[in-house]
Amino acid sequence: MPIFDQGYQHWRGAVSGHAWRWLAVTRQGVRQQMRRRRTKWLIATAFVPALMLAAVLVFWGLLEQQSRLLEPLMFLVRGLPDEVRMGPKAYRSAVWTLAFNQFFLVETFFTMLLVLAVGPDLVSQDLRFNAMPLYFSRPIRRVDYFLGKLGVIGCFIAAASVAPAVVAYALGFAFSLDVSVFRDTWRLLAGSIVFGLVIVVSAGSLMLAISSLSRNSRLVGAVWIGLWVVGNMTAEVLENSVRRDWCPLVSYATNLHRLHEEALDTASARQKFLALWAAGRDTGQEALRASLPFGRGRGRRRPLPPPPSEDEAPLLLRTPENLRHPWTWSAGVLGGLFVLSAWTLSTRIKSMDRLR
Amino acid sequence: MWKETVEPTASPDAQYSSRDNEWFKAHVPDYAQGHPMLFDLANLTKTYGRITALRDLTVAVPEGAIGLLGPNGAGKTTMIRALMGLIRVDAGGGNVLGLDIRRRPLQVRQLVGFVPEDECLFPGVDGVEFVAYAGELSGMARTDAMQRAHEVLDYVGLGEARYRKVDSYSTGMKQRLKIASAIVHDPRMVILDEPTNGMDPAGRIEVLELARDLSRNKGMSLLFSSHLMPDVEAVCNYVLVMGRGRVLAQGSLAELTRADRPAFEIRVKEDANAFGRHLANLGCQVETRDDSLRVELPEGEATATLWRATLDLGEQIRSLKPVRNTLEEVFLKAVEELA
Repeated sequence: MPIFDQGYQHWRGAVSGHAWRWLAVTRQGVRQQMRRRRTKWLIATAFVPALMLAAVLVFWGLLEQQSRLLEPLMFLVRGLPDEVRMGPKAYRSAVWTLAFNQFFLVETFFTMLLVLAVGPDLVSQDLRFNAMPLYFSRPIRRVDYFLGKLGVIGCFIAAASVAPAVVAYALGFAFSLDVSVFRDTWRLLAGSIVFGLVIVVSAGSLMLAISSLSRNSRLVGAVWIGLWVVGNMTAEVLENSVRRDWCPLVSYATNLHRLHEEALDTASARQKFLALWAAGRDTGQEALRASLPFGRGRGRRRPLPPPPSEDEAPLLLRTPENLRHPWTWSAGVLGGLFVLSAWTLSTRIKSMDRLR
Repeated sequence: MWKETVEPTASPDAQYSSRDNEWFKAHVPDYAQGHPMLFDLANLTKTYGRITALRDLTVAVPEGAIGLLGPNGAGKTTMIRALMGLIRVDAGGGNVLGLDIRRRPLQVRQLVGFVPEDECLFPGVDGVEFVAYAGELSGMARTDAMQRAHEVLDYVGLGEARYRKVDSYSTGMKQRLKIASAIVHDPRMVILDEPTNGMDPAGRIEVLELARDLSRNKGMSLLFSSHLMPDVEAVCNYVLVMGRGRVLAQGSLAELTRADRPAFEIRVKEDANAFGRHLANLGCQVETRDDSLRVELPEGEATATLWRATLDLGEQIRSLKPVRNTLEEVFLKAVEELA
């Protein structure tokens, strides 16, 4: 086999600055993961909730305009209070918030699955195949390596969660034909992006840390599932037995949910509907009293019953019990996990400064 | 700034870079002072816990093909890592291609290509993708890296296997692939760590030819670390022998293998024993080997002694070959002296 017969040309091109070296690691990681069918399927499936979110926002936009296009679908809003049906604009912010909240509730599940599909190989495979010299003998730093790997997870989370939320927002904005939409709902857009960043940094760094602990990717995946599922189960058991405010903190997913509730300000939206529901209930009771025979209840002004507790409200309007603790507690837990992950990565991946 | 071009210039902040300074005059051997330096290290010390991997290592090596020899645990790998700025040294410093290894490790790695001993190929990637990725990690744009990957794969003889998955490559192909990924960014220096380990003879010869071509025809300096003396002799023109974290011997191959005193292997026509005895009487050290003699001439004497002996005895010299030390002898001698 003749070698060298093609000759060798010296190369005198320009190279990128060191600030962008991590991007090469990310690009390669994304390319490699996108060759897998399961990753493509997961991303496609993760788009279903986004389509539903977009559908809700577009529907509300058309309802605000009293569009005739909705006539065949008006049965969907028949159960809503008259105030909402007559003046949907006043409830725009609350409806959008609850829709985004539901979207992220479902999407967090897909995010955890995506991290499970994409993450275990990221560092673990490099350790398994002794590929660290490939990286660290090049002009890149450890932080570039970590950022690049984190970028892979970030790309997939952005593709399956943040980007669809932004697209759905844009669609809802477009179909409402009203500039004031942005004034009413900008917090949702900002909250979606901020929550996307939180989940990328938190889940990404945690997965990288776990991936750096073993050369066996399946074991890494099993640990991730354990952290997720066992965490949820333990939190539930503790909530039913210990019944303390801190019990939900044991669940990683619950901590994420608590933060997205805060980022979207879901509590305010719930309060708005809760007040409407309570008023409707009181009006109903008044009407009931007025219709009683023998004048019972007529002419006498009885005091209104006490405002209903949140637990009596319909399920959609209730704050789940495991999300009633202060959001700062969840932020603290996720922050602590991030510090632990960073420490694990810095001790496990020590460049090539080791004896062998 | 998005684009930058790294020019291999001497580091102005390096205390070792100037040829005129005191350090250089004191530490760099005379024979190397006229040549451009590939790297120079001064009082380099590196410890891992209680193990001292490099002990006050001071060395200066000219550009060219450098063989790095040493027993296991000699500190070769640690020195390579120190040269690439991959480890934090405890004391000392140095320069590679004029760049300070402590202050500019990234720039050093921009100018250096490294072929590690480990396999370090992850599966599921084809050859051209792997080499292009190495180029991208060195800062090349994606299109440049891909174009260059095709070129260097052709050069190392993997042009036809470029679209095969790397996990299906043979050991020799993997080694050539690693060389291709080390030279994809056209470095000025290539470090090869045990490049012929575990290879069949044909693959080994290919890798040695490749290394030789890089150093002799492509203008790259090599640091060739190996346990195999014939491989080092086949590729290198300068040798560094290390032991216990220090340099035991260094010099050009010709200098190191030259015998301390002029010596010859001689075959004569008639009586070799009588000729040997006569030479011994003239002050030579003579050793009889089968049908030949190994003769070391006395200090200051030339071959005239031999001709005088032939005249004295009426003998004819049929073969006269100067004796040189083998690299193996040089290596063993250096290691024995250390012991």
